[in-house]
Amino acid sequence: MQFHIVTPYGVIYQDAIQQVTLPTTTGYITVCEHHAPLVSVLAPGEVTIYKDGYTVGLAVSGGMIEVRTSGEVFMMADTAERAEHIDIERAEEKHKRAEELLAQVHNIEDVEFARMQAALEKELARIRVGKKYKNLPLQ
Amino acid sequence: MALSTKTIKTRISSVKNTKKITKAMEMVAAAKMRKAVEAALSTRMYAELSLELLKTLSQTQEVESKLLASRPVRRVLLVLITSNRGLCGSFNANIFKYSKNLLQKTKVLGTSKDTETGKEILSEDFAVDVYGIGKRSALFAKRNNVQLVAVDEALGDKPPIEAVTALTNELIQLYTSKKYDKVILAFTHYKSSLLQVVKTRQLLPVSRIDIEKMLSELPDQETDAVAPLPLDTYILEPDEPTIIETILPRLLDTSLYEALLESAASEHSARMVAMKNATEAAGDMINALTLEYNKARQAGITKEIAEISGGAAALE
Repeated sequence: MQFHIVTPYGVIYQDAIQQVTLPTTTGYITVCEHHAPLVSVLAPGEVTIYKDGYTVGLAVSGGMIEVRTSGEVFMMADTAERAEHIDIERAEEKHKRAEELLAQVHNIEDVEFARMQAALEKELARIRVGKKYKNLPLQ
Repeated sequence: MALSTKTIKTRISSVKNTKKITKAMEMVAAAKMRKAVEAALSTRMYAELSLELLKTLSQTQEVESKLLASRPVRRVLLVLITSNRGLCGSFNANIFKYSKNLLQKTKVLGTSKDTETGKEILSEDFAVDVYGIGKRSALFAKRNNVQLVAVDEALGDKPPIEAVTALTNELIQLYTSKKYDKVILAFTHYKSSLLQVVKTRQLLPVSRIDIEKMLSELPDQETDAVAPLPLDTYILEPDEPTIIETILPRLLDTSLYEALLESAASEHSARMVAMKNATEAAGDMINALTLEYNKARQAGITKEIAEISGGAAALE
């Protein structure tokens, strides 16, 4: 099936694949060939693409997923990053920074809090995907 | 001899230095413009997909959202995209002129559509505030005596989408808290490197027409047109309201992001043209000064010879 990952920065991935596992707000789902048409909300996390016996890992940070009647799958992600492009050290630093900010500020506005939490989740997902790709221990 | 050769020489070298700077600025602007145009293009597919999805969803049933609901206009927020720096020709002047006209157009600003009946309501009495992007927007607020709510100068040529999202959230909050009943965006549309047009777009309440307009205005790029899909068979997870609530802010993000990139491209191309003119003017000036310099030098030589031959004639 045709799989596209599109972000505001452009098309990140576009290929014919066998199946894909992706995070939605209600949990991880796997989309195989001939999946019923579906629209769902993406959560920050890890996307695993299975193609011809090998897998491709990506970190995404929220968005939408649409499976069309034609069998095409479109993922509209806010950001998407290939596992091999993730700089784990920098991701960890950002994660730490986000945690610090969340911990020290109690009286920030809800909007700000939500934004920071989203950033935290995004960085966590990136670290997980990056480490998995480099076969590092997850903790 | 009107000017001494030395003063002319200093002037020539100072004009030469200016020319070097304007030339460098021209080239930098050209490179930045290309990047901004490219980035604006890459948002296209994302915007199209989200819009299609919204369309499909609204086919099955009437879509309801706080961001779609329109209400009588009492306060309007004008988001004005200007540049941070000067030396960009008439870029800022154009957007100021356009926005000033817009302030007079009560019909455009004051119209709202009743969500239930679909009738247009025109309110005559409303206030306009400005939300500035880029330092120069302060100038507009000062000149036209409108209130400047905030100035965002951190969004540069290629803002990260997170920064745009933060801005969208702020605007959404201002709208849903009923502080403003309409949010309008004024930006510069990049047509070509020589032609930029100021445009407006209604950000909130979200109107489908405006988003479609935005797509048609995007620079051309081959896109595989997808036929409208029969929709009842879709599985919606978790449910339609959640999906709508997710997709609408993203459409706004894209719309704003694209306007920012277009404005950046316009700013750079305006600067490029202005700097090109300046470089040419400097070249002309150097030629004129060189001519003057040569004349002055020749006059000096002639004078010296005249003095020598005058002195020799006096000895005889």
